[in-house]
Amino acid sequence: MSAAEYPGLPAKPGGRWKIWLAIAIIAAITAVTLAPGIGVDFSLDAIVRNWRNGAEKIGQLLVPDWSFFPRTIEPLIETLQMAVIASVIGAIVSVPLSMWAARLTNPNRITRGLVRTILNIVRAVPDLLYAAVLVAMVGVGALPGIIALVLFNVGIVVKLVSEAIESGDPGPGEAARAAGGTQTQINRAALLPDIWPPFINQALYAFELNVRASTVLGLVGAGGLGLLIDAVRTFYRYDQLALIILEILVVVVLIDWASAAMRKRLK
Amino acid sequence: MTRISPETPAGAATAASAPWSIRLRDAVVRYPNGVVGLKKISLDIEAGEMVSIVGLSGSGKSSLIRTINGLVPLSSGTLEVGGHRMDLARGRELRRLRGQIGMIFQGFNLAGRTTVLNNVLVGRLAHTSVPRTLVGAYRQRDRQLAFEALDRVGMLERVYHRAAHLSGGQQQRVAIARALAQEPGIVLADEPVASLDPPTAHAVMGDLRRINRELGITVLVNLHLLDLARGYGTRLIGLRAGEIVYDGPAATATDADFERIYGRPIGDQDLLGGQSAAPTGTPA
Repeated sequence: MSAAEYPGLPAKPGGRWKIWLAIAIIAAITAVTLAPGIGVDFSLDAIVRNWRNGAEKIGQLLVPDWSFFPRTIEPLIETLQMAVIASVIGAIVSVPLSMWAARLTNPNRITRGLVRTILNIVRAVPDLLYAAVLVAMVGVGALPGIIALVLFNVGIVVKLVSEAIESGDPGPGEAARAAGGTQTQINRAALLPDIWPPFINQALYAFELNVRASTVLGLVGAGGLGLLIDAVRTFYRYDQLALIILEILVVVVLIDWASAAMRKRLK
Repeated sequence: MTRISPETPAGAATAASAPWSIRLRDAVVRYPNGVVGLKKISLDIEAGEMVSIVGLSGSGKSSLIRTINGLVPLSSGTLEVGGHRMDLARGRELRRLRGQIGMIFQGFNLAGRTTVLNNVLVGRLAHTSVPRTLVGAYRQRDRQLAFEALDRVGMLERVYHRAAHLSGGQQQRVAIARALAQEPGIVLADEPVASLDPPTAHAVMGDLRRINRELGITVLVNLHLLDLARGYGTRLIGLRAGEIVYDGPAATATDADFERIYGRPIGDQDLLGGQSAAPTGTPA
């Protein structure tokens, strides 16, 4: 058949069955998780049964309580402060950690493995869980929120930046090694200059995530808007909740836009 | 081109230390993957020589150059540079010796996003403490040496430019300045002109010859183009499969000698062409 298409055309490589196998496996997993008894108790009945309830809530959400605005300002600013402080601390801590976690900047397998393992553990814990535990440890307020965000930040930034370092050019480092520099000197004088752009890029991205994350950390008592969200939700004030959601939306969009503009200029 | 900046007395020329000799005995380089880079090489290079090292890629010329500053460790044999046992040096001593050996690379190996000055100051790392490096507070004398080295290669004007904004030839000159700022006893160059166009290649080779003649620094250059090897080196070493197959004066090396080194007939692809830069007369 291939010979008919074009003379001398080699036979098509096999292996298309792999795609079908993958699709079959995904379908099987989905079927098992939906199966009654073993899987999650999932049915669309709930939506149908409670649709009137849901429609009512949506109706309330569509009419924000604008008079509530003055009371949201302070928590909103606290949320942003938490995000900014956590992003700055996280970024500063991430610079040396990223270098310890990348082979190009840390040829020692043992210390590199240690840093990577610790960071994998740090990254595995969700930020909300950090906040919940830290609230129990240091009390309700912005501090546990900030610490939770720093941990969350460092986990992400170090992973992304150390990967960027690995894919970078080893040449300048080799030159600095040949000139008799120690590893620390090599990292600082020859490799750091070319690491700044990916680093700032990832730090800004982490800041965007922080703004989002900081709005809900208060749900477990870690300061900011989340505390207020928890309060109005308890009193079923969906009109006030609508206003808060709207404010978060505006802030997140603004920050994303500003951060994207800055990252673009960095290129 | 031998300008010396007015602030410095003429006595403080860039090569403050005396040129170094190199002594290899039964040097073997075997890489972890089993590939043999050098097979029992013994070699003496006198202080102040300008040596061209030729061979095809994989012949071991890169291994030889990188062995001399310890970037590639010897598997067996001994290596002395300037009377110091390089093969035994570790840690601080190894860094001190490397500080006396400048190296120039095919790909320039500059940090593109920082200034020419910061790149040249990398040549002073062996003489700068870690805390000073971390905050970028290089001593005045180190900065002077960097300016002087840049002046010598005609790049002083570009001192505050970003390295990545320079042309290839300019970047290689900055890399030469980085090596000169070390006040080296030896300069090693690994295919320094392989990514440059012919006129720029001749200019960079001319810079290397000048630092050999005017500063007396021992210079070893890896090349694969035979007209450059003949024209700029005073001594020629030919490598083939990790062994020295030719060692003699560069100017009198014949085409037949090159055919023996390369193991094949030579042709136009083995010549750079461009301006003839051999002052000693190019042999036919």
